[in-house]
Amino acid sequence: MARGKDKKKRKLEKKQEGEDAPKQVPHTLESLREKDETMLANVDDEEKLEAQKDMELDELSTYYENSYEPKVLITYSDNPHSKTRIFGKELCRIIPNSISRYRQRSSVKRIVASAIRENVTDVIVVNENQKQPNGFLLIHLPNGPTAHFRLSSCKITPELRKDYKEITNHRPEVILNNFSTRLGLTVGRMLGALFHYEPQFRGRRAVTFHNQRDYIFFRHHRYEFTSDGKRAKLCELGPRFTLKLISLQQGTFDSKRGDYEWIIAGRRHQMETSRRKFFL
Amino acid sequence: MKIEEDKEVDIFVASRIGSFKHIKYHTDPTKNCKKNIENLINIKDLRKDDSITRLEWGNAEQTEILVGKKNQQIQLYSTISGFTKSFTADFAPGHIVGLGRSKGKIVAALSSGVVKLWTRKHKDLINVGKLDRMRMCPDDDTVFATGGDENDLKIWRLDEAAPTFTAKNLPHDWLQLRRAVWVSDLALLPGEGGRLAAVCSRHGYVRLYDTRAQRRPVINVDFENMAATCIATSFDERQVLVGFGRGQLHQVDLRKGKPDKGYKGAAGAVTDIAAVRHGRLIVSCSLDRQIRVHDYASKELVYQKYLTSKLSCLLVQEARATPLARAEGGEVKEEEEQVKVEAEGERDDLDALFEMMDTVGEKPKKKKLPNLQETELPAKKIRPSTGGSTDTVVVDTDDAIRKLLRSTEKEKKRREQRKREKKAKSVFHNA
Repeated sequence: MARGKDKKKRKLEKKQEGEDAPKQVPHTLESLREKDETMLANVDDEEKLEAQKDMELDELSTYYENSYEPKVLITYSDNPHSKTRIFGKELCRIIPNSISRYRQRSSVKRIVASAIRENVTDVIVVNENQKQPNGFLLIHLPNGPTAHFRLSSCKITPELRKDYKEITNHRPEVILNNFSTRLGLTVGRMLGALFHYEPQFRGRRAVTFHNQRDYIFFRHHRYEFTSDGKRAKLCELGPRFTLKLISLQQGTFDSKRGDYEWIIAGRRHQMETSRRKFFL
Repeated sequence: MKIEEDKEVDIFVASRIGSFKHIKYHTDPTKNCKKNIENLINIKDLRKDDSITRLEWGNAEQTEILVGKKNQQIQLYSTISGFTKSFTADFAPGHIVGLGRSKGKIVAALSSGVVKLWTRKHKDLINVGKLDRMRMCPDDDTVFATGGDENDLKIWRLDEAAPTFTAKNLPHDWLQLRRAVWVSDLALLPGEGGRLAAVCSRHGYVRLYDTRAQRRPVINVDFENMAATCIATSFDERQVLVGFGRGQLHQVDLRKGKPDKGYKGAAGAVTDIAAVRHGRLIVSCSLDRQIRVHDYASKELVYQKYLTSKLSCLLVQEARATPLARAEGGEVKEEEEQVKVEAEGERDDLDALFEMMDTVGEKPKKKKLPNLQETELPAKKIRPSTGGSTDTVVVDTDDAIRKLLRSTEKEKKRREQRKREKKAKSVFHNA
């Protein structure tokens, strides 16, 4: 039966039911998401305790105990073009206490070694292909983990018709959305550990990492409460970009000899069994 | 001739955060549940550096497990009575990379390269150089082998200061460059008295050394760009299982010098492998926090379980079985026994008949056929016309009853739904 045929009928029925009928929630890929056993939401107490302990004892735990102030080094592939450079500089403005340096043909392993010496806590390497930034490597120091993301649909402030000078140097608030599985939690914690644990609310800046269907969307806003204080108006400051996890590695960068905690290369057909399966 | 019976495999798994678990794996997939997993260490007490780096059997009866930790603690766990003793191996820096027993005394190796035999009177220290792994020989408990980063395989005797065998690297490659060495794990093949050693490396090779033949490897198998992390002996002679840092798991045939079989499924680095002789299963654990069981021959993934923390090593108990500490296991068994007693009347006369018959078709068929009969004629007695033992048939009656109940419930629901629809329609017409 064609869809339009009983439309009238349905409309009438709806009228009959009146307005008090509950609104139906549409089915989306997320709401029909396949159950993941690593999600903290659906495990018993003992496992929850263990997962908590696991997070308490991992490499990122020292940040979440607020024991140090993060210091971030941002670098690029060799000879970056203007877009990647501007992107890096804008990242520098977003992340407090960060510096941007050119790579100078140094290897990642050497960068890591010297960053540890300089007490840097995280290293970001932005890769570029055909003048577009396309890779995002995030290394937590001193002993891992290392996350490798694919970077796509990157829009720097001029492309959004914004001015980078709008970005104040207050420490931003960080919003991590929808990181639900164990892997997602680790990734979310890594991204959160880039920023200072104490935001300056005066600046009214908010940085969002929103995970939807395994794509992590980054947005950067300034907000302003309306006069009644119930809602907030948003003003996007830019840049925007999207990340997708390629691999998560234990320890610092060692793509040849390292131990991977999660990697999708070479087993996509085994792992992506359904459209409704998500890993983060 | 028989339908596959359910077998139990006891697996002990240790993790990076220091949790230590006992899993009872059933080959019958319906019996695997959360109840079969037990924590042996209280998670609340875990500290930093409690990470377990090594698990090893303490005796041939497989009742004692030696647990080596990152904070240099060695604990003895008895499968009967729980944790009994603990020592601290603080004679050198580094975490524990190898454990074993020699004539009742504990042998421990630390990552800084010190191997020590634990005795009251004199303390034997052997300095080996940076270590990634030390393993005792399964046949001769005075022989052990070591290896590490830029520290090729050496085979030692406990009472001798110099190694009995030192491996020699392969000749330079075609560019006259030295080949890098990194022994990440090694296995002394059983039944050879410590003369055959297989070695795997993070530089992507698996080598077999024969101490009688030469110092260079007898066989070298290259895996380009694959960092091997662990190695274990497989079922047949000169076959090893090798796990890799990117989650691959392969069997390597060291006679042909070729990778043999691949076992898929892991999304993170494989950290430890064990082969279960009876049942021909391969158990592996990996950094993606899962334990996996593969069927050896068909390479199929039969079981997979998420265990909340990054797994570092595992042991499989084959010599004996350990019951779970919880009481629930017992009750289930009693029920099963009762069912068996009821069925025994029929069994006696039919047993002989069945043994004469050949099994026809495969396993799923057998199960389905009796089911069909029972759903049609629930009042009739079981007619075991298709081959197989009566045990499974008896279980099937229960299933059939459950199915019937379910189907009636479904029908009820359907009827109610139809009624509701009718009502809705009438309302519409009234309007």
